[in-house]
Amino acid sequence: MTLGATSQDPNTSAGPVTEKAPRSRRRIPGWLMGALWVAVVMVLLSTTSFLTGLPQLTSSSTIESAARFALPILLAALGGLWAERAGIINIGLEGMMIFGTWGAAFAGYYWGPWAGLLAAALFGAVGGLLHAVATVTFGVNHIVSGVAINLLGLGVTKYLSSLIFYPLSGNPRESPPVPKFDTYSAQPLAGWLGELEAMQRVGISDVAGILRGLVIGVSPLAMIGILLVPVSYLVLWRSRFGLRLRSCGENPKAAESLGVNVYLYKYSAVIMSGALAGIGGAALVLNPGQPGYSENQVNGRGYIGLAAMIFGNWRPGGLLGGSALFGYADGLRLRQGETTVHALLYGAALLVLVLAVVHLVRGRWTNGATALGGAVALYAVYWFTDGIPRELLAYAPHLVTLVVLAVAAQKLRGPAANGLQYSRETGGRRKRGGKEPGALVGAGGPGAPPPPPGGRAGPDEAEPPGRGGAAPPTGG
Amino acid sequence: MRRPRGAALAIALTGVLAVVGCAKDGGGTSTSGEGGGGEGAAGCQLADPPPVPDEVEVSTPETADVDGSELRVGLAYDIGGRGDASFNDAAAAGLDRAEEEFGLGDVRELTAEANESEDAKVSRLRQLADEGFSPIIGVGFAYADAFETVAADYPDTDFALVDAAVEGADNITPLLFAEHEGSFLAGVAAAYKTDNCHIGFVGGVETPLIQKFEAGFLEGARAAAPDIQIENTYLTPAGDITGFQDPAKGNEATRAQLDAGADVVYHAAGASGKGVFEAAKAGDALAIGVDSDQYNQETVAESRDVIITSMLKRVDVAVFNYLAAVAEEDLADFPEVFDLSVDGVDYSTSGGMVDDIADVLDGYKAQIIEGEIEVPSSPTG
Repeated sequence: MTLGATSQDPNTSAGPVTEKAPRSRRRIPGWLMGALWVAVVMVLLSTTSFLTGLPQLTSSSTIESAARFALPILLAALGGLWAERAGIINIGLEGMMIFGTWGAAFAGYYWGPWAGLLAAALFGAVGGLLHAVATVTFGVNHIVSGVAINLLGLGVTKYLSSLIFYPLSGNPRESPPVPKFDTYSAQPLAGWLGELEAMQRVGISDVAGILRGLVIGVSPLAMIGILLVPVSYLVLWRSRFGLRLRSCGENPKAAESLGVNVYLYKYSAVIMSGALAGIGGAALVLNPGQPGYSENQVNGRGYIGLAAMIFGNWRPGGLLGGSALFGYADGLRLRQGETTVHALLYGAALLVLVLAVVHLVRGRWTNGATALGGAVALYAVYWFTDGIPRELLAYAPHLVTLVVLAVAAQKLRGPAANGLQYSRETGGRRKRGGKEPGALVGAGGPGAPPPPPGGRAGPDEAEPPGRGGAAPPTGG
Repeated sequence: MRRPRGAALAIALTGVLAVVGCAKDGGGTSTSGEGGGGEGAAGCQLADPPPVPDEVEVSTPETADVDGSELRVGLAYDIGGRGDASFNDAAAAGLDRAEEEFGLGDVRELTAEANESEDAKVSRLRQLADEGFSPIIGVGFAYADAFETVAADYPDTDFALVDAAVEGADNITPLLFAEHEGSFLAGVAAAYKTDNCHIGFVGGVETPLIQKFEAGFLEGARAAAPDIQIENTYLTPAGDITGFQDPAKGNEATRAQLDAGADVVYHAAGASGKGVFEAAKAGDALAIGVDSDQYNQETVAESRDVIITSMLKRVDVAVFNYLAAVAEEDLADFPEVFDLSVDGVDYSTSGGMVDDIADVLDGYKAQIIEGEIEVPSSPTG
């Protein structure tokens, strides 16, 4: 809230492993942090790939596959970001994605992929609107409303598709084939990178493979998804609108008292959230390789998106990382998963070892020793097993998330008033939206007892509204 | 600037580790990397095909003088119900054929909901049994527990269960299929159609049922081409049934197999199979469908030209034969398993892409029926 807050924890954006640096007052800008993480991941993957002799870890086809898996998750996570930054927990992302898949297939079938995309956003937004009406206007518990929307999504699309798709496809659970977006590759860059990758040189080829995987076979939808990350950041953190929106998630009463129309902002945020989730659903229908709508195809990706967002500390950059992790684990698992995911254990051991050394160098002996123990344990598991049992493979990303959340929970912080119900009638007195929304969103504000009226805002970043562009750069 | 130092340290450290080289050897020996296409486009070294049979002997029940007007048939569908273009539809087709050929007194059809509780299934069955429906047919192994519970309370009602057997319940007739035998023929077809001598199997969920498909496919491919290379992927582990409904995963798994060099892919992955066909089409490869004649399915019409054949699981035949047997009150010599010999499993010929090897397929089929080839029903590794 005050400038002094920067010294407490300047870098909530920096991801789970960031250390507090009480001795250093200089903050590292978000973009540099992101670049550093990208570099660390690249080095880690290249090393693991080289040392374990598994080129698939960094091959362009794996990365391509990971990107395709990550896209719907990313869009759902962005949807979650918008809603939760305005203080509305959106567990209904799953349902909104389902709405999106149906809308995309319907409009896509008749008027082509762009219309499908639009319809998906529209259908998702309708889901968001429902959620907003329930939670904002009628003060329904956010979780209850979200679950209801998930059920509604399943039911309504089932009804609609037996009504409309059945005559077309002869199957009430699936749509007929839907026209897809074309894909584009960045030539001649992709060609050069392909040559580099084929050389199988240590490091260079790995990096080339990773880059190539990101620049070939890109659909417009993927570009939009990626672009929406910086756009969300700019809108939410760099605009007057975004500042006010976030103030509704941190301290709606203070916002209201300063003239912000809290209901309006919450409504727009949740509708936007639904639209993003709907586009995420469209990614499952309109991207090349996806055959169209089919029942249950969303398969929990909305929830995973929510997890990716929490993993990313309610930040655009962080949730991009979280979605990439899920996508990568999924993509890798389906490519000789037993050996490749097993090799990731080795990579994880390396990462933890490096962390341990960093801790030790800084004189934090306990943390260092713990991390060292973890690294040894991981390496031992790697050494004494020949592959990951298939039963565990599918849950690799979930396990990673659990570990990260467990390790870094203290450092994650969501919006302070997230999940709390705000009511204008009661004079801005906030009451619990539900029994324990805090348990769901993990750490940070929501877990704390409800603050007194006019109570604290977030510890570090909720500015009083009205200071427009003066928000400090807290991007991810 | 602590973090950059940490990162530099990380880079230095991993460099050191690289020099020390403490990764385990042989971790990746089982894979030859991307694009390893085997021995070019020459196809496989094929084993000698079996002799061409004169005519494949398949037995079907006589229904000319069967009268089913006394039967009140209850049919409990799995999720999707009539019109799912798969098992439920096949069961419905069997029912319709029975109705047409020997008439049925009364028919009640009920459908399961997604993620419904065991209780819901039990009460659905009790409702049918209470109203005096007999026989009651359940489509899908999801009904196994519910059948076991309900059948014990209604000893005079006939039950039949597709895809599962219940131990110790005399009034439950299992309608089981020899999926491994049908998959064997799919394996033979794949081995004859591959250019790289490299094929793939995509399973939906790693359950014993799907492993039967895998076992038969592997056995058939190896019987036809002993040195064939086979990719093998399951979309989800046992217990996570989403693998049957996730075309995106099916698509990526198939792309991975094509990248590894496979050029004919067989799927046993339900609705995820749509993703398999899309990937095969995009990757200029061939695919083999499952359960019903997928060449004729509207939902995959765009990629039908890659579907060379489908392993047919004739739920309609089983349901029809069962109804005929019940109408005649003769369940004594009802087949324990619907295999190739009673037309319970088969391969489809729509599209004409296996016409050139029909003799070979029928040869293997005859050998399996005669018992000269024994197909294992679980993967042997």
